[in-house]
Amino acid sequence: MSYLVNLLASGLAVGAVYGLIAMSFAIIYKSTGLLNFAQGEMAMITAYVAWSISTSVDGNPFIVAAGSILFAIVFALAVERIAIRPMMNEPILSQIMVTIGLSVIFRSLVILVWDGLPHGMGIPAGDALVTLGDVRVRVAQIGVILFLFAAIVAMWAFFRYSRFGVAMRAVASDDGTAQLMGVNSGKVQMAAWGAAAVLSGVAGVLFAIGAELSPSLYALGLKAFPATILGGLDAIIGSAVGGLVVGITENLVGGYLSSGLKEVAGFVIIILILMIRPYGLFGEKRIERL
Amino acid sequence: MPDTAAQIAATLLELRNVQIVYDNAVEAVRDVSLSVPEGSVVALLGSNGAGKSTLLKAVTGSLHREEGEIEKGTIHYGGRDIGHARTEDIVRAGLILVPEGRRLFANLTVDENLTMGAHLKDTARMKFQRDAVFDLFPKLKDRRHQISGYLSGGEQQMVAVGRALMAEPRLLALDEPSLGLAPLIIDGIYDTIARMRRELNMTILLVEQNATQAMEIADYVYIMENGRVVLDGPAEKTRSNLDVQEYYLGFSGGGEHRKSFRDIKHYKRRKRWLS
Repeated sequence: MSYLVNLLASGLAVGAVYGLIAMSFAIIYKSTGLLNFAQGEMAMITAYVAWSISTSVDGNPFIVAAGSILFAIVFALAVERIAIRPMMNEPILSQIMVTIGLSVIFRSLVILVWDGLPHGMGIPAGDALVTLGDVRVRVAQIGVILFLFAAIVAMWAFFRYSRFGVAMRAVASDDGTAQLMGVNSGKVQMAAWGAAAVLSGVAGVLFAIGAELSPSLYALGLKAFPATILGGLDAIIGSAVGGLVVGITENLVGGYLSSGLKEVAGFVIIILILMIRPYGLFGEKRIERL
Repeated sequence: MPDTAAQIAATLLELRNVQIVYDNAVEAVRDVSLSVPEGSVVALLGSNGAGKSTLLKAVTGSLHREEGEIEKGTIHYGGRDIGHARTEDIVRAGLILVPEGRRLFANLTVDENLTMGAHLKDTARMKFQRDAVFDLFPKLKDRRHQISGYLSGGEQQMVAVGRALMAEPRLLALDEPSLGLAPLIIDGIYDTIARMRRELNMTILLVEQNATQAMEIADYVYIMENGRVVLDGPAEKTRSNLDVQEYYLGFSGGGEHRKSFRDIKHYKRRKRWLS
């Protein structure tokens, strides 16, 4: 029993990491129609910057958090302005190719600026083990789960009640008409990139604290993307759920069947679910009515 | 020219010799001049592909999205050159378009669609305008929390017009408001246009294929074909023009027997778009 609970707990934690990055994919897709394939890489770079802060400035978790969130926003806005904005009216496939190009550049950049070796993050407060009944988890793992739930509530409220959130949904629904209302789609794109960078950056940092920091951290993006598809590309909260499903499934299969199947288990589930619900678990079906 | 200044002040929208080209190659609008005096209803009529929608895109600053460009000529709105202005600034100045086919945000509720119309206004102003729209279309108030994509065609058109009114237009441009609607609903739309003009003193640019009703409500009429204005004049005069009656309004003058198609000059025969 305690084995199962431990598997579920660590599945929930890794699922929350996937979920946060999956939400980032969905936020950008929903408001600009673009898939940012460099999302995992951007999370990785944020984690490396967090490591630099903790080792060369201060290991205080609040300082690291503030610094890395600030960096994530500035970095995302710079990428958006320099690489994405000039492509705004180009075909969407070309824009996606740009993000794939960026992902390769970012991966090399990590090795160029830092190094290719695995590191601990040097944040003891996040690394500490906590025992809750039968379950032993790290503070960072609890942190990422709590952050995911906070992000879900915040996103739900933002898109439902704030006027800028409604405008973002309007852009997603019909950006040409939204512009006729005076919506500045550049601002919407900036907001989406900024928010996505914060969610995936925090996920990257917390994952690196719980596991380790290495140049293969970008692979979180590869795991999170199918989670987005599972939840529904345009479903932000659904993507978070998709991440949790993938994380928990992986851990259960790895724990009970074989660790070799762990990596593919999530994908098998995704294929099965998409066969039944092609729009994803929570994807919106386009309303076809004139 | 003695009263040029007065004339300019009275003209809200003025297009002069406008020429629009898509992709640097396809000429969509040639040498069009058109003016909309403050407080009037001007109808711009013509068949599919005559260049009406292209003109509206130029006026609302959204040509560049389709690789279109104003090659020659000027567009003045409220005395300001808006030929290369951003849509955002044009909207802020009160030139609002109800796009063809309504183009509601289908996944958003009626309320949210209306809110979008007042995107550039603060929340207090938005709520004030929303109450005004609900006064004009009481039906929308009952439907305010429904997803707009599931409303009927007539209700969707109300949302589209209401959404435009949210921006407090000084000049309201309507692109084929009657498209795809039942005759009874079209009557309702035209009643609304008449009311907006009467009660809100709004200037209206009405773009239509449906010539009969547009001419009844308009003060002045332009007819476009193949990217040019082929005919313009006060609505009454245009309505009584025999050519227009025959080829645009679909009846022959004086109870005469309808002329054979063979007798008609080639240029007239090309377009019979209201039959």
